[in-house]
Amino acid sequence: MRDRRESLVKLASAVAFLAIATVAVLIVVSQSGSSGGDSGHIVSVPEVERELQGIPQHGMVLGHPDAKVALVEFGDLQCTSCKAASEGILPDVIAGPVRSGEAKLDYRAFTIIGAESTPAAAAAIAAGEQGRGWDFVEIFYRNQGEEDSGYVSDGFLTALARHAGVPDIDRWNRERESEAVLREVEAQTAEAKRLGFTGTPSFAVEGPATEGLEPLEPTESATDLESAIANAR
Amino acid sequence: MKAPAEGTLRGIATFLGTFGIGVATYIAIADSGGGAPVCVAGGHGCQTVAESPYSHLFGVNIAAFGIVGYVLLLACALLRGDGPRMAGFGLALVGFGYSLYLTYLELFKIDAICQWCVASAVLMTLLFAVNATRMLLYVGREP
Repeated sequence: MRDRRESLVKLASAVAFLAIATVAVLIVVSQSGSSGGDSGHIVSVPEVERELQGIPQHGMVLGHPDAKVALVEFGDLQCTSCKAASEGILPDVIAGPVRSGEAKLDYRAFTIIGAESTPAAAAAIAAGEQGRGWDFVEIFYRNQGEEDSGYVSDGFLTALARHAGVPDIDRWNRERESEAVLREVEAQTAEAKRLGFTGTPSFAVEGPATEGLEPLEPTESATDLESAIANAR
Repeated sequence: MKAPAEGTLRGIATFLGTFGIGVATYIAIADSGGGAPVCVAGGHGCQTVAESPYSHLFGVNIAAFGIVGYVLLLACALLRGDGPRMAGFGLALVGFGYSLYLTYLELFKIDAICQWCVASAVLMTLLFAVNATRMLLYVGREP
């Protein structure tokens, strides 16, 4: 009887080890997250709503229209570094100088990743036409899929637009496929190249102390962007 | 102090498991409708957690895994013998460990608290305590 109990307690130790290993595997799977690009499971909408709440939007410009300094981000919605900037750097800039009215943040397309970058950028610009451009961009980044894997479908973009609060989806659909918006994407990409940018995200700043739109050195720091804003005043 | 009778431990585990099935089922039903559980005390914590990337595992809402876990724990509580004692301990340890991880995510990653998830985490913690006690006291002994 005692031998059997001792054997079973040893077995229980193995069960405990197995259970802990199972939890570890589940955590690793959870950390790897979903592959993104899932129109049936759009995530982090409340987080974006909180981030942008109360800040005016006009077109793709976030912030008070009279802000003296404009920080321009040239981004590709498929770019993973842009996603990292959106989640790691820009929240501080938005909560600081943009919310305070010191600066406005202008998102412009720089479509360099692949074929799916253009319809994504056009969809963002069309959302901007209805005052939800930044909601669209921020929600897109948080649900970004694998580059050019086919995830930038009409269904995915429409799910994002709905979650971004685009009020007139029919109008948004017409505009995102219009020649005018597609030309706008091309023009913004050409502007990024003209400024000498070769990668995304790239930032430029314009203010009373700058001579037009001045490109910034690549950065992964919100402090660098905030300093550039302060220097441009 | 007198050790609790196995019948008492199984009764508590039965109650906790049944309650857990209810909580996990509510979360899963709320999510399947495209919504989120309603926080009883108000606020948007439940919606924030439900819409976070961590609410799904292998594309399935983790509440569905919770239902399966609670059903299995309930079965272990209802059955006699060493098999259910060991299985109940192992399952409850997995549930407890993963609940700890989810609570960490809520506090430090998602930055929101869902009352239903906290309720489930408390139930899982109690189930682990009960099943661990049952296993330690009664494994290898007559049913």
